[in-house]
Amino acid sequence: MTIRTDPENNETHALLGMVNFSGQHVLEIGCGDGRVTWRYADKASRVTAIDPSSKQIAQAKEDLPSQLQDHVEFQDIAFEDFTAASAPSAFDIVILSWSLC
Amino acid sequence: MVHALEEIHRLLKPTGTLIDIHPVAESSPIELHQGEKIDLVGSLSVRQWCIDYQQADSALAKIARRGLFAVEREDLFDSLTHYTSVEEMRTEQINAIDKFARDAQSAGEGVPDVEALAMRAEELMRTATSGAELIIRERVHISRLKPT
Repeated sequence: MTIRTDPENNETHALLGMVNFSGQHVLEIGCGDGRVTWRYADKASRVTAIDPSSKQIAQAKEDLPSQLQDHVEFQDIAFEDFTAASAPSAFDIVILSWSLC
Repeated sequence: MVHALEEIHRLLKPTGTLIDIHPVAESSPIELHQGEKIDLVGSLSVRQWCIDYQQADSALAKIARRGLFAVEREDLFDSLTHYTSVEEMRTEQINAIDKFARDAQSAGEGVPDVEALAMRAEELMRTATSGAELIIRERVHISRLKPT
């Protein structure tokens, strides 16, 4: 099975054209298996990527390239639980990754 | 959704940026690509998904009206999912629609006939050249918002 999503990198171009990730602490909400995370993570200084699906997060952790391990953290947690435990003004960038709907 | 955006406002630094990415509330064409030749197989539309996307648009508009965030920039792009076989497409879409049906507890309501689309795709794939691909094209909205 070879399913490829956005091999044209249209999403990458749109995302990188929207914001400069350099030196930024990013929160990605609804990261799933990290499909969108990989598109910008190497440019950010730190990434916290959350998703309520433990299966998807396990896949993301498995796929996490070694060069990103020191600054990308995946958490299987619901957004409500994450915000309840988070300090205000903690992030430079928040990405709603196909997750507001 | 509005509450989630309020929480995001709290988590963001005052100088921060919110990026929202979500599909546009319209049906997605399924295309058969053979080199430069493109045939339309059909159109995938799930009513509940469209409602969800419209609600996301409404929530963003509401928080902008309330002065919580200001939209700085918006854009559209196409996200293409490529399948090398009808079976791949059928399995993935049936799983996605099943998930929606379970989540929404509304199986049978507004669910597209994936089998009919798959049969049409199979018909076209039978005479397709080697290397042909099925592509689902989703129109996606991306926006950049600043806390105000």
